Amino acid sequence: MIDQSRRAFLKRAAALGIVGGAGPFVMNLAAIGEAAAATASDYKALVCIFLFGGNDYANTVIPYDQASYNLYATQRGSIALARDTLTATGLNPAAPLAGGRQYALHPNLAPLIPLYDANRLAVILNVGSLVQPTSKTNYTNRSVPLPPKLFSHNDQQSYWQASNPEGATSGWGGRIGDLLQSGNGSAALTCISASGNSVYLSGRSAIQYAVTTTGPIPLLNNATTLFGSAAGMSALRGLATSPRTNLFENEHATVTKRSLDLQAQVTASLAAAPTLTTPFPANNSLADQLRIVARLISVSQELGAKRQVFFVSLGGFDNHDSILTTHPVLMTRVGAAMRYFHDATVELGVADRVTSFTGSDFGRTLTSNANGSDHGWGSMHMVMGGAVNGRAFYGTPPVIANNGPDDVGQGRLLPSLSVDQYAATMASWFGVANGSMSTVLPNINNYNPSSWNQGFV
Amino acid sequence: MADGELIRNTERGPDVAEELKGEERRSAVLALPPEITITAASLALASCGGGGGGAAPAPVVVAPPPPAPPVIVLPTRTESARFLSQAAMGSSRADVEQVAAVGYTAWLDQQFALARTIGHWDWLVQAGFNDVANRDNEAGFDPVMWRQLIASPDQLRVRVGMALLNMLVVGIGGVAASWRQFVTTAYVDLLMDGAFGNFRTLLTNISTSPAMGYYLTFLGNRRANAATGAVPDENYARELMQLFTIGLVRLNPDGTVQTGAGGAPVETYTQDDITGLARVFTGWTLDSADNATPDRMRRPMINVAANHESGVKTFLGTTIPAGTNGADSLRLALDAIFAHPNVAPFVSKQLIQHLVTSNPAPAYVARVSAVFENNGSGVKGDLRAVVRAILLDVEARNEAIAGATSFGKLREPINRLVGWARAFGAVSASGAWGIGDTSSTSNRLGQSPGRSPSVFNFFRPGYTPPNTPISSAGLVAPEFQIANEPSVIAYINYMAGLVPSTADFRANYADMVALASDSNNLLNEVDILLGARLSAATKTTIRAAIDAISFTATNGPANRVYTAALLTLASPEYLVQK
Repeated sequence: MIDQSRRAFLKRAAALGIVGGAGPFVMNLAAIGEAAAATASDYKALVCIFLFGGNDYANTVIPYDQASYNLYATQRGSIALARDTLTATGLNPAAPLAGGRQYALHPNLAPLIPLYDANRLAVILNVGSLVQPTSKTNYTNRSVPLPPKLFSHNDQQSYWQASNPEGATSGWGGRIGDLLQSGNGSAALTCISASGNSVYLSGRSAIQYAVTTTGPIPLLNNATTLFGSAAGMSALRGLATSPRTNLFENEHATVTKRSLDLQAQVTASLAAAPTLTTPFPANNSLADQLRIVARLISVSQELGAKRQVFFVSLGGFDNHDSILTTHPVLMTRVGAAMRYFHDATVELGVADRVTSFTGSDFGRTLTSNANGSDHGWGSMHMVMGGAVNGRAFYGTPPVIANNGPDDVGQGRLLPSLSVDQYAATMASWFGVANGSMSTVLPNINNYNPSSWNQGFV
Repeated sequence: MADGELIRNTERGPDVAEELKGEERRSAVLALPPEITITAASLALASCGGGGGGAAPAPVVVAPPPPAPPVIVLPTRTESARFLSQAAMGSSRADVEQVAAVGYTAWLDQQFALARTIGHWDWLVQAGFNDVANRDNEAGFDPVMWRQLIASPDQLRVRVGMALLNMLVVGIGGVAASWRQFVTTAYVDLLMDGAFGNFRTLLTNISTSPAMGYYLTFLGNRRANAATGAVPDENYARELMQLFTIGLVRLNPDGTVQTGAGGAPVETYTQDDITGLARVFTGWTLDSADNATPDRMRRPMINVAANHESGVKTFLGTTIPAGTNGADSLRLALDAIFAHPNVAPFVSKQLIQHLVTSNPAPAYVARVSAVFENNGSGVKGDLRAVVRAILLDVEARNEAIAGATSFGKLREPINRLVGWARAFGAVSASGAWGIGDTSSTSNRLGQSPGRSPSVFNFFRPGYTPPNTPISSAGLVAPEFQIANEPSVIAYINYMAGLVPSTADFRANYADMVALASDSNNLLNEVDILLGARLSAATKTTIRAAIDAISFTATNGPANRVYTAALLTLASPEYLVQK
């Protein structure tokens, strides 16, 4: 295995060497990470659970102490959750927050409460996209650079995942993969999406590999003939996968070839995977995706994988309307799917090697538009896994207000913790050295290195 | 029959040429290679600039028309099929013959003049889907959408209408309403009806359509309420500007991005503009409470004064005075947006991307954008003129340009299915059109008409597949957003089932079977009808596969036809429309 990894490392180091002007620098840093991973004998997986549409932070992590709740309820009006529905999901951190601040999870996230109480779930307060630490005065005076195209779905999804708006060419999950994929028997199985294409998983050399919720798709059920002809099947495979000069033709052929090349290996491994007995939530597309992730993790050894980054998602969070009927359904799915996944990793004996975290386009307004909320910025997120230092809040509880010190109007939170710091903490756990961190997170040097690792995992 | 035999290089006298319209003469002239000076290198540069940088437009030098009598060149069948890949959802043999017989301009004029045979809504009613039992389901939606795409003769309107649906998106899954098949098809009808009209009219129509009211949640939206603190929903105000009209950054007339200090793009509006414009979209609601029939879903929304914001509305440097009513506020707001200099390049470039090529040269965008700005009669937003300009432009028509490695676009999966159906006469004999929802990425197309998962469409015009030679070249490839390891295989698997299907919706291969004894004849015709433009090498490969099936074997002729069709449909040369 180590020999195979070293061969793979050399091959990819050579590939990196031809990446234009940035080549030598990138290669040098990549070599540090890859050398470390090549001698590692453990396994780690990082799982991004992306909530597309911009999750409503205020009805996900709800201010619960009476004073805070009153401020929340006044500003939310008709879309506030009743305080007495939150009793069972009130969070009891090991160390209470200053000033008597308390929070509760949405009632439908109740399956996550036992994980929180068992130190396996942490709640991160007011995290969002930033270029550098930004005060309210900085924002008001535009005296520091801000992420471009704030409040725009597609651009903030991209900025969250890639540190660049739409059109980004690599994401931080993929850039972590760049550094660690040489430790894997098959580099192509480093960054795996169960949710179609996401820039998050594309690195500068690492490639996103997509699977369905049942795994890879075989071509014509692996038939050996096409319309009765073996020559037809052979021609089909050849035509669909041969290199082309037109860039778009060639890319289509490349994706098709990768799909066919990996299908047999991955399908065969999955066929031998242990059967999971953890109760599986039905009619939950997020759980469907997390199940294939759990199954792939269960065969990581057979696939020669030591470090894998996964991407799953749930859509429908753009709740401008009907938030009190739509959002609870989504919360039920998130709660059930995350709990299922945690329990599946326990069943597989890998709970402490798998860290999952939520992401989203942005938070939303605290102010109501009568039956929903609008696009915001900072938000509350959750990190889950056996390695997580749970039963705690990280970040700073924002002042609950309309154009107060911690929001830029209508409760659109000005992030006090950046996605870069959130990501760096997990990258660090995953094995990325501080010296390589800026290749993963290009803006991380704008933050004091002592703040890169927030300590939640 | 070889292509060469069908070329009709007809020399005509000046008297005949004088009768031709300007565009005909122009396109005829542009078809002659010596009139165009262009190199692959300059094309690559131009395309990079089109990807969104501030690069100077690459020179595409078009010599002025020579004074001598123009030579009229009618397109070959191959060229006609290529044109129809851009101007239609696909091409039947009759379509190809028609374009080859009359030329591009005359065909466009015929299509502009063609009335719709029947709208989606009326078809649904005729088929009885307005039965109250269908009030809370989607029955009829997929059949009527596919039927229109495949069987409608007004193919240019359908193609442009689908391009507009890709830009001014409503997807049935996001319509939280009764009668959603009617709500959504009324909207698609609105786009098809308006495909050759004025973009400003389209803006009024979409902004008052119940479909948009539901989809972007401003139906029932109310003025700010001081007592509860509630403020107007900002959803439509934001997406109307960001996605439908001006976009997030200032554009030059050629579609390139304007940059400010430090080279950063200049943004077009702020959150305050959104909040200001959101006040316009208050008070809008259905014109009737009668939900026993779907009828109110096709009539424009009305404005209820008591729910409309009566205060001042300020956005994009425009102020609508206090006391202005809902209808007037909407008119003034849309006028202000329509007057923004971004509209012409923003809309023009995306239409080019949907019809012709993902990375148009800035000069191409500039030529079309100029027509959007002024159709020659001082009218802005004339979509008929814009469509004509896009399809007859040298960059769309010139074969040398199409040979550049960065030219073209990945065909949308919907267009592949429809293209196959039109090429081989696939119809639903019963009229049931039971193709269904093809959204599955594991066993269908990963795309289905009218079923976009969000207002951001199945794919974004600025999408580039990360970490690929495409992204390294600074190019975009929007349709690749729905191309990945499962979906590329699912497409082949699905078509392999559809191509030989004997279900109600099936092809009629009689014309192809008649050619099937000669693999050369068969493949050449399949190639033309699918607009595939296969290379000689690919044809050799496919011919060998056809020849491996004996014509006289059981099902031999049919299997030879299926093989020719599926291998063409699966080849990257076909998959990328060029």
